[in-house]
Amino acid sequence: MKAVVLSVLVVLVAPVLQVAVVNGLSLPGGGPDVVLVGVIALAPHLRPGAGAFLGFAAGLAADIAPPADHTIGRLALVLCLAGWVCARVTADGTAGRRAAVAAAVALGATLAGGVLAALLDGTPWGTALAPGAVAWTVGLAALVVAALALLPRRRSFGRVPRSRDRPRDPYGRGRRLA
Amino acid sequence: MRAAGRRAPALLALVSAALIVADTVTPLAPLRAFGSAVYGGLEDAASAGVRWASGERRLEELERENARLRADLLAARGTTPSPAQADGYRVVPAHVIGFGRDGTVTVDTGADAGVARDMTVFDGNGLVGRVLRSGPGTATVQLATASGASIGARLEGSREVGLVTGVPERGLLRLSLLNPSAEVKPGDRVVTLGSRDMRPYVPDVPIGTVVTVEPAPDALTRTALVRPFARFTALDLVTVVLGPQPDGAAVDASAGKGTTKAGDGDKGADRDEGGSKKAKGA
Repeated sequence: MKAVVLSVLVVLVAPVLQVAVVNGLSLPGGGPDVVLVGVIALAPHLRPGAGAFLGFAAGLAADIAPPADHTIGRLALVLCLAGWVCARVTADGTAGRRAAVAAAVALGATLAGGVLAALLDGTPWGTALAPGAVAWTVGLAALVVAALALLPRRRSFGRVPRSRDRPRDPYGRGRRLA
Repeated sequence: MRAAGRRAPALLALVSAALIVADTVTPLAPLRAFGSAVYGGLEDAASAGVRWASGERRLEELERENARLRADLLAARGTTPSPAQADGYRVVPAHVIGFGRDGTVTVDTGADAGVARDMTVFDGNGLVGRVLRSGPGTATVQLATASGASIGARLEGSREVGLVTGVPERGLLRLSLLNPSAEVKPGDRVVTLGSRDMRPYVPDVPIGTVVTVEPAPDALTRTALVRPFARFTALDLVTVVLGPQPDGAAVDASAGKGTTKAGDGDKGADRDEGGSKKAKGA
């Protein structure tokens, strides 16, 4: 239930936050991709299927939220894969490890999105792979995931022992929200 | 459970790829309309909340008057005959409520206020761009600096005709003059040429000033870099031109002009039409 509420919040609020607030701040280098950061932060607490669906929905939202003017499905594809990878790479481990995984996924997703933008929509390569925007996104993703991992409430999720009666389920119920 | 965990992502990735293909073949207009209805409203609410909190609500009356005065000024600027000359413009003020990454912004005025595609948008400094599509309460505006934009333009002094295209990575514009021997020097002002029926661009909106004249790679055109007057990273209050003044005489005059002018074969207007079509296709 909590996972559903948080997912809906990411899908509805992150694209609005992106275009109405973050892009308007004119940060040096371009500013972070809030939708990607939201997916990377929430997906580790979901099962892989749910993570992929969250990424797909958030990406599609970012594809159709005005003033987007690119091919629909571009961000949905990238974020779907990002959400799936984040949910699959096991979320237990230290805050540092989680942050490293988040940073790697953020980097990969931003670069893949940039390549798709250049190929599908003819965005100039310099704009599609702007190093400033990549740095902002990777930094913010690592920071948010590390902060979530360090929250005491979150840590209790990771300490639930794997139950014996469901040995074939690699994603124990205890540390997942869904 | 494991199988489902793998099948779902693969399926969603396939759906995404299918969407990309579908949107490339035929633009998915209903999906975009849905997006602008849902997210346009949310962006509008977020932006209105911020403005209300900062006490700008009282300024609305003044903003409307400002937009009207700007339109009057714009109409008064036309000193030489243009393809589409009107006695005045019907305009509507709008706020920029969202900044995109595709050289586009969202404004908080949409089809409800009469905004439709290919309408000119400008602010107190100069040309902003044209309306790309309009939702119920919001519209998407393509900035003049977008990589797909191309605008018919002329030098204000010499009236030489050219085409302005975006150079997005530098925030500048490139002016290509049709006359290869045209005189152009840094500091020259560039204004819009104006399209037939005033869409997508009304004539004589200031675009920017020439900063550098590029060395000619060939003798076919003369190009120069133009610094736009509008500050595209800090847009706020803009004005959308809905069309000429609804007053009967003005409409008749412009309609009549349109038919007689068609015989003149205004090359600049033709070129601009072609340019905007290219932009639409991109």
